[in-house]
Amino acid sequence: MINKILIANRGEIAVRIIKACREMGIATVAVYSEADRDSLHVQLADEAVLIGPPPATDSYLNMGRIVQAAQAAHSQAIHPGYGFLAENANFARLCEKEGIIFIGPNSNALELVGDKVRARQTMEKAGISIIPGMKSIPKSVAECEAAARTIGYPVIVKASAGGGGKGMRIVSEENDLKPAVEAGMREAKSAFGDESVYLEKYLEEPRHVEFQVLADNFGHIVHLFERECSIQRRHQKIVEETPSPALDDALRAKMGEAAKKAMQAAGYNNAGTVEFLLDRNSNFYFLEVNARLQVEHPVTELVTGVDLVRQQIRIASGEKLSMAQNDLRQRGHAIECRIYAEDPANNFLPSAGKILFFKEPKGPGVRHDGGIYSGWDVPIYYDPILAKLIVWAENRDLACRRMTSALDDYAIIGIHTTIGFLKDIINHPEFRAGRTNTGFIKRYFESWGEKGKDPGMLRPVLAAAAFDELNPAAHVQGAESRPSRKERFSPWQSLGKWRIGGI
Amino acid sequence: MEFEFLIDHIFHKVSVDKTGNALLFKEAGASFEADIRSISENVLSIIIEGRSYSATIVRDKDKKIVFLNGRSYIVEKPGEGAKAFHGGEERTREGQLRITAPMPGRVIKINVAEGEKVRKNQTLAIVEAMKMENEIKASCEAVVKKIHTSAGELVDAEKLLIELELEK
Repeated sequence: MINKILIANRGEIAVRIIKACREMGIATVAVYSEADRDSLHVQLADEAVLIGPPPATDSYLNMGRIVQAAQAAHSQAIHPGYGFLAENANFARLCEKEGIIFIGPNSNALELVGDKVRARQTMEKAGISIIPGMKSIPKSVAECEAAARTIGYPVIVKASAGGGGKGMRIVSEENDLKPAVEAGMREAKSAFGDESVYLEKYLEEPRHVEFQVLADNFGHIVHLFERECSIQRRHQKIVEETPSPALDDALRAKMGEAAKKAMQAAGYNNAGTVEFLLDRNSNFYFLEVNARLQVEHPVTELVTGVDLVRQQIRIASGEKLSMAQNDLRQRGHAIECRIYAEDPANNFLPSAGKILFFKEPKGPGVRHDGGIYSGWDVPIYYDPILAKLIVWAENRDLACRRMTSALDDYAIIGIHTTIGFLKDIINHPEFRAGRTNTGFIKRYFESWGEKGKDPGMLRPVLAAAAFDELNPAAHVQGAESRPSRKERFSPWQSLGKWRIGGI
Repeated sequence: MEFEFLIDHIFHKVSVDKTGNALLFKEAGASFEADIRSISENVLSIIIEGRSYSATIVRDKDKKIVFLNGRSYIVEKPGEGAKAFHGGEERTREGQLRITAPMPGRVIKINVAEGEKVRKNQTLAIVEAMKMENEIKASCEAVVKKIHTSAGELVDAEKLLIELELEK
C-alpha cells in the first residue's frame, strides 16, 4: 500500500494530485525549484524539498535529484504529472531500479509509445490506421528533404519524444524545411532533453479526438470515451470538451475499441490517452499515445464520474480495475478552458509577473483547477498554464452558457491572460454549432483583438475610482508592499490537514 | 470635490458631492447618484439608478485597475498618464530601430550580424520564455548597427537587444 507520494511537478497539476492524495489519506512530498518557493503546491504538500535552480533542466528534469528526494522522504511512489519527466522512460526505469513506484505505465510501454516513430510501427502492425510519414528518425536534414518530397507538402515536423506542441512546425515548401527542423530540434531538446524529430503528412483541418484509457496490471482495460480537442493554437490545445459533437454512438464505439487495441498492442498499464485525427469523412488515424495524465482529464472526470488521479494511484498500488466497460456512461457535457499567462492581443507573448488580484469563478457545475493566488509572481521559466476552468451541464448548449458566465466572473489582474480570448471562442457561432477543427483558431481568430468596451460601464468605473480616492483607508495593499504569507493564501483553504479533535 | 482621471487613456473630469448615504457625481453636464459600499479591500458594491455592479479595484504603483463585468479598465491621473501617452507615440517611431525584448526570457539565438542588411519581417533573434520560442522580427528594412546581447543571456522586458539604422 502506498502511504506517501512525491509529486515531481509544479503548478495546477501538482495541486490536483496533492488533493487526490489527501482524500485517499496519502501523505505528499512537493519538490520545487528556487523559482517556486512561493508556489501553491509547496504550500499545500505535507513536505517540500528544494531540488535545484530555476531552469527545468536543473530541477524538475533532474532525475537523480528527484529520486534522491523520494528516498530521503521515504516516499514509495512518484507521480510525474504531465510534461517534465512524465513520459521519460529512463526516469520510469530509474524508479523501477530504485524500487520506487512510478505512477504511470511500465517503462517498456512508455518507451514504446513515447517513441512516436516506434509507436507508429506498432499500431500499423496492430491494424490501426496511421498518418503517412517517416517510420524512422532521420539522420540528416537531407533525409528529411527526401522524405518530404515523397510524403508531399505540407508536412509537419514532430518531436519524437514530444507532446503539447513543443518542437512542432508545419512546413509547406522545401525552402522552409531546414530552419523548421532545426528549430524543432532545439525546442524538443529544451522541452524533453531529446532532439529527435521526424516528419508526417500534415492533414489539413482535421478534428482532434482522443480516447481516455485505464488499464490495470492484470490486463483489464476500459476506455472512458472521447475528448474533443480541436481548438488548438500552435498545436497547443486551449479548449477541450466531451462528448465530441462529431461522434455518433457507432463511431464512438469503433474508436473506443481501436484505442483499447492500441494500448493492448503497446502492453500499456495505468492511465493513458490515444489521440486520433478524424477527417471530414469520419476516417480516423492514430496520432500518438499520451502516456500520462492529460491536462484535459477533468472533462472526462465530470461526465463519467471517475476520478482519474485516484484510479492512477489505485492501479499503481496493484489493485484491479473496479469498473467494467459496461459500467461506464457519459452523462451531460463538460468543457475545459485553459488559462494561460499570455497576451492574446499581442501575438500571445508570454506574460510573467505579479498577479495583483485573483478571483476564480464559483457556482453549480463549475470546477477550477489552479496553481495561482493573489500576490504570486508567475515565473518565466515554465509552461505558461496558470489554471483550468471546467464546467459541466446537462447538454452542450448549457455548458457553453455556463462557461461564458464563469469566464465573466474570472478575475486575474496584473498579468495578461487568455480569458477574454476564450470567451470569444466559446461564443463564436461556429463553435456553438459544434463545427470545430484544428484550423479553427487560424481561420477565425488570427488577428483577434479585445472588443470595444461597454460605454455603460463608464459611470460605475468613474464612481469606483473616485470612491477609492475619497477613502484612502482602503489603500492597504499596494503593489509595492508585499502582503504577508497569511494574506496571500487564506488559512481557510490551507487547513485541510487540520481536524477538530484530530490526532 | 473634483477629480481628473484618464480611463483607458481618455480624459474624464468628475465632481463628487455627498447626498445622504449616496454620492452625487457630475460628469460632462450629466449627473448621477451612486450608493457605494466597500465590501473588502479590493471589492466595491455600487448601485447606480437601481443597477447593481460589483467592481474589483486594484492599486498598482501610479494607476488603478477597475475590473467590472469581465473587463479591466485602467485608471490613471492625467499628469503621468498623458505623458506616457504622447511619449509612447514618439517611442514607436524610434522604437522601430531599437529592438527590445518583448518579455522577460532567454535569448536563444541571434540570427543576424552587425552590418547586415535586413528585410522587413526578417527574424533578428529568438527569445524563449515559458518554453516557447518567440521570433523577434524587423519592422522595417534596415541595417544592423549594433548587437547588444548574445545567445544564452537572460533578459528583462524592454532590454535593448539589437540596434538598427536606416540605410543611407
